[in-house]
Amino acid sequence: MSKSSPRRFAGRSTGTVTVIEAKVHRSSARNAKMAFILTAVIVGLLSAVVAASYWHPIVSLVVGALIGVPTGAAVWLLVRVWPVIRLLWWWSLETTLAVLLLTAWVQLANHTPTLVTLLVVALVVGVPAAIRPVRRQVKAWTWCLIVRHRLRVCFAQFIIANQSGSLPLILWAKPTPVGERVWVYLRPGLSAKDLEGRLDKIAVTCHASTVLIERASENNAAYLRFDIKRREVLTAHVGSPLVDVIDPSAPVSASPLTVPTALDLPDVDAPTIRIPAQGKPATKQPAASTANGSKPAASSASPEADDVSDWI
Amino acid sequence: MTTTIPTTADAVPVGPGLSMFDPIFIGIDEFGQPVYLDVIYRNLLTAGEPGGGKSGLINNICGHAALCDNTRLVLFDAKLVELGPWRDLADAFIGPDIDQGIDVLRRLLVVATNRYAWLLANRRRKLADGDGMSVIVTIIDELAMFSTVLGTKQQQEEFSTLLRGLVSLGRACGMPVVAATQRPSWDIIPASLRDLFGYRAAFRCTSLNSSNIILGQGWAEQGYTASDISPTNQGAAYLLAEGGVPRRIKAAYLTDTDIYNIADYAAWTRRPTSSTGTPAVNPTEWEMAA
Repeated sequence: MSKSSPRRFAGRSTGTVTVIEAKVHRSSARNAKMAFILTAVIVGLLSAVVAASYWHPIVSLVVGALIGVPTGAAVWLLVRVWPVIRLLWWWSLETTLAVLLLTAWVQLANHTPTLVTLLVVALVVGVPAAIRPVRRQVKAWTWCLIVRHRLRVCFAQFIIANQSGSLPLILWAKPTPVGERVWVYLRPGLSAKDLEGRLDKIAVTCHASTVLIERASENNAAYLRFDIKRREVLTAHVGSPLVDVIDPSAPVSASPLTVPTALDLPDVDAPTIRIPAQGKPATKQPAASTANGSKPAASSASPEADDVSDWI
Repeated sequence: MTTTIPTTADAVPVGPGLSMFDPIFIGIDEFGQPVYLDVIYRNLLTAGEPGGGKSGLINNICGHAALCDNTRLVLFDAKLVELGPWRDLADAFIGPDIDQGIDVLRRLLVVATNRYAWLLANRRRKLADGDGMSVIVTIIDELAMFSTVLGTKQQQEEFSTLLRGLVSLGRACGMPVVAATQRPSWDIIPASLRDLFGYRAAFRCTSLNSSNIILGQGWAEQGYTASDISPTNQGAAYLLAEGGVPRRIKAAYLTDTDIYNIADYAAWTRRPTSSTGTPAVNPTEWEMAA
């Protein structure tokens, strides 16, 4: 029952496919044994206590054992095959989809002539493929399926949470305009901070551009939201809804303006430059002048606004 | 709402019924979701290198405010053209004239103080939607022009001090401030003024340091730096608002035609401002400066 080596998946690169990892297998065997003993003892004792009110205590003990041992065996079996059940659960949606698809295909092929079969298939496949929004939706939801598996790979392969190797619960996923958003419930041993240092690796595993993590709940630190980005929307042109609420044919209402005529440098005479007087003019940069020739340097130039020739 | 502004068109203009208490649409976030900003109870500082898209964001807010009922605009734009389209709608439009700017800020501070007295008399601490009091939105483009370039040192300091007063007082009495500048370092804006702005929008910067100055110390080290925005992607920014973590956004873009269309429509539908002492715009003054 060794439970030491923390690098449980290190160095597994052989061609064989193991459904249940060795460590998981071992700990599963131990867990199953413990579950059997605990269930058998507790259920057996409870049954014996209840039975004692009807029969002789020795008879009720035997009855308790008779009920406890089979219940324990059932629990042992459940714990023993749990890794397989978990695997089936992970792939349940895909399996169901595949079964449905195959069933539909077989039924169609059996009950319709070949030409009709092909026509139906062409329609079912062709119409979503031809209509862009539908195609995009299908693609987006497919990515949602894929990304949940990729996230699980991340957690299993390089984000080892705890000694028993329990993985976070990967909840539902939904498409966003830039990729997918997946909700995850962390198990003990992980925190959002641990994950933030590995965002680049998660992005690589998910075949994405970047991944962001945010807490999905203010009250529960275990409940996280993964935002997986595949597309950039910030380069898009964003229009304002204000344009839609107005009537563009509104009458023009602009107060008349006097346009200055001195629009080029030679048009502006040197003495008319109004210099913003600074506290310490000698150390400041004289770049800021509102020079456009129409305002004589009079009122707003301050008294210490000195000799213009200093500035030129 | 109907209008009493005489119009030449044969249609009766209907206002879009916006309010400054509504969240303002400013663009989309990196997930393509719309981003709204509550400017009414927060002050917004936008900064970034020239051509980053600051004016786009400011014009969005200005456009929204112009279409809002019971909202007054006070616009500062030393460059004239960024906020110039809204000059006829604004209660005050200040061009490159710091004296006028200081006067307007003083008036705003008096209004703010009076409003707090009113709130106190009404046993309240904050202006709400149903109060019927106008929202006065102050928008400043190129804040650095007023705080470092125009006027004398004393005037600049006075401007900064008055603005600091308005920013710290205006929040709860319906007088939000939106300011834009290129680099809000201490030599451009006093740090005491900069830190009063609750919302920050950092458009493209050239260095981590500049980004930190806008968003606040430490964000660049955590990966939120406006220096990673592509120079060709105008309008992309980091927005530090609700949520407490900077978000990447893309500000909505209004073309010049859009801006003028919205301004014309807003002028058409606006109720006449009951500004006896305050002309809706004082064109002569800033035209003379031009």
